[in-house]
Amino acid sequence: MNDTRLWQVRQFVYNHFADTTQPPSLEDAAKHFNITKEEASEYYKELHNLHAFLLDLETMTIRMANPFSGFPTDFKVHANGKTYYANCAWDMLGIPVALHSDAIIEAVCTESNDTVQLEIKDGQNTNYDLLIHFPLPFARWYDDLVFT
Amino acid sequence: MLLFQSEEWIDKWCERNSLERGEVLTINQVWELSKLWYQDRLSVDYHGRNTEQIAEVFKQAGLRSAFWYV
Repeated sequence: MNDTRLWQVRQFVYNHFADTTQPPSLEDAAKHFNITKEEASEYYKELHNLHAFLLDLETMTIRMANPFSGFPTDFKVHANGKTYYANCAWDMLGIPVALHSDAIIEAVCTESNDTVQLEIKDGQNTNYDLLIHFPLPFARWYDDLVFT
Repeated sequence: MLLFQSEEWIDKWCERNSLERGEVLTINQVWELSKLWYQDRLSVDYHGRNTEQIAEVFKQAGLRSAFWYV
C-alpha cells in the first residue's frame, strides 16, 4: 500500500465532505485516483483501522469522519451555503472550525428535546448558556465510537 | 457528546439511562477545545495525533482531571 496515496485518500474523503456534505463512495474514490474499487476498499479499511474515519464494514460506507457525519443527526450546521450534519455536540462546533467559516447551528437538546440555535461568527460563539456532557472518559472513547 | 440546557436535564438523562455522570463542560470550553482539536483537520498533513499530542491539546484546553488522562 502506498503511504502517500493513503493520506491523499484521507484528504479526498474530508474534502468531499467539505464540498458536498456527504462521504465519497468507494466508486468515487476509485474514479478520483484511477484505481480499482478493490484498491480503494483497502485504503478505506486501513484508514478505518487508523481511526482516520469510521467505516461501516458491511456496507463500506463512511459513517463518521469527525467532525462530519455521513448520516443525518440532531446537530445541523449551516455553513458556506450548505447544511452539514455533525456526529455530536462537540463536533457541531468542530465543523466551522475545520471549515474555517462562520456557521449557524441548529441542535436538539438531549432530554428536553428543545431545538436551540447558535451562531459562530468571526471565531466567536454567541450562545453561552449551553452545556455539553461527555459520558465517557477519554480512555474509553474508542471502545464504541457511536456511543461516545 | 450530548447537548443540554442545564445541569438538571443532565441529571434526569443520567437517571433515566442508569448511567454515571461523566464530565460536563460549558459550550465555550468545548468551543476552545474544538479550535485546538479540529483546526487542521482538512490538511493533507494531518495524520492523526499520538498520545502525547492528544495530552497536550487537553492541557492547552485546561482539561487536567483524570477524566482526560490519555
